[in-house]
Amino acid sequence: MAATFFGEVVRTPCRAGTEDEEEEEEEGRRETPEDGEVRQQLARKREVRLLRRQTKTTLEVSLLEKYPCSKFIIAIGNNAVAFLSSFIMNSGVWEEVGCAKLWNEWCRTVDTTHLSPTEAFCVFYHLKSNPSVVLCQCSCYVAEDQQYQWLEKPHNPDNHTQSNSCQVFWLQMVFGSCPRKNMQVTILTCRHVTDYKTSESTSSLHTPFLKALKTQNFREPPCCSLLEQPNIVHDLPAAVLSYCQVWKISAILYLCYTDVMKLDLITVEAFKPVLSSRSLKSLVKNIPQSTEILKKLMTTNEIQSNIYT
Amino acid sequence: MASQYDRAITVFSPDGHLFQVEYAQEAVQKGSTVVGIRGTDIVVLGVEKKSVGKLQDERTVRKICALDDHVCMAFAGLTADARVVISRARVECQSHKLTVEDPVTVEYITRFIATLKQKYTQSNGRRPFGISALIVGFDDDGIPRLYQTDPSGTYHAWKANAIGRSAKTVQEFLEKNYTEDAIANDSEAIKLAIRALLEVVQSGGKNIELAIIRRNQPLKMFSAKEIELQVNETGKEKEEAEKKKSKKTA
Repeated sequence: MAATFFGEVVRTPCRAGTEDEEEEEEEGRRETPEDGEVRQQLARKREVRLLRRQTKTTLEVSLLEKYPCSKFIIAIGNNAVAFLSSFIMNSGVWEEVGCAKLWNEWCRTVDTTHLSPTEAFCVFYHLKSNPSVVLCQCSCYVAEDQQYQWLEKPHNPDNHTQSNSCQVFWLQMVFGSCPRKNMQVTILTCRHVTDYKTSESTSSLHTPFLKALKTQNFREPPCCSLLEQPNIVHDLPAAVLSYCQVWKISAILYLCYTDVMKLDLITVEAFKPVLSSRSLKSLVKNIPQSTEILKKLMTTNEIQSNIYT
Repeated sequence: MASQYDRAITVFSPDGHLFQVEYAQEAVQKGSTVVGIRGTDIVVLGVEKKSVGKLQDERTVRKICALDDHVCMAFAGLTADARVVISRARVECQSHKLTVEDPVTVEYITRFIATLKQKYTQSNGRRPFGISALIVGFDDDGIPRLYQTDPSGTYHAWKANAIGRSAKTVQEFLEKNYTEDAIANDSEAIKLAIRALLEVVQSGGKNIELAIIRRNQPLKMFSAKEIELQVNETGKEKEEAEKKKSKKTA
């Protein structure tokens, strides 16, 4: 052991051999029953459930198996959600068909059993006049382990993470094990412009701006330029797009790079070019009214922060 | 690679970046837009007013502050950092007046603020100030001045500039529209500032604050009514210009 300048004690590398150290580490790795219980409780807490709020029942099958659709539009993040709320959802009557209740460390609530309607999570709607159009508004953060289906092996004694129940996560829960290939998926999301890699100076970028990334099966021209390498997409949008690519579903992701991650009028309006896409064109009815709805949304959602002036 | 070199302010990255200073520029982008115009006989500062809570006293949320009778400043970025810089600048203005019996020049106080900011980019245990400022005023020689400082401690003189959120859009507008005619007289310079702000301020005149300094006159803050008048006039002129344009093309 050695002490550093700041008083912390660090383990110095030992040239005598590492066998003893390995044994010590092995002991530390062995899980106690309490650890196992805590881990199982955490796993149960992180379970994603799809339910119908009106009937308070859980959906037995995946959402798109119960409500097959030809157009699936997903908004991830508060700006994308505000865009859909203002420009698409005022075009007709939308019925809520399900909501995904989930909890992870990013959620601000501690009560995982009784999430109120104002808690941010995923809500699914379909258009009453045309039920083949399904829309998802996802304001919460879906963690990596919650994005994909995770099937545990119940008879593996070496598997310390053994659980008796399958944990159904977002994609499996929404798309199912065998998704329809003749649907078109449109994903809208935002990312901070500091994540955008470019050889140009970042001060020359006109934020917010839109970039697109599509699957191989997507044939239409996108409404904006494609996302250049080496930029990558993260989190749930990446999971959905990858899933669509694997299952040969026509899908396109519109990613808005912005310098304001909170709900912002200019960022929301940056999504407007998407309204000319085939999947959304027929859903847009009254743009001036939509702009008014958006302004009201901004006013009601304004959180007073005095840090920046 | 950035994460290895961005924790300490005093560490350069291999390609010569001081990441903390660059990140401080990002903090400036979070502040609302400020535009400064240097006219022939007037200097104008226009800001996008920050929305104020219902129970909040509007007077305590100010982006435009006088540093002395003949110099004023508007900032974008961290409110608390701005308060400290403004306080230090005001003390310096008075100290200078008492010492040399002359008011500060605009350039002097700008250099003071810039030097202060630069010190904080080179000290261990401190972080840079997260504000950019537009400093305007008149010197004894009667010449109007407009300077801009940023978190790195640099300062430059400008004819017109913008800082804060959507500053790029406003700067492009100013580059196209700042002409000798546009600043021919005081009211044209004021209208130019308003038009520049209206490029990015969505809700119109009620979210704009305006201040001017005329030669040998103290800082004048426009009231809400005066701003509304100016915005309406600007709106009318814009409509007329568009009508003329459509007639010409027809």
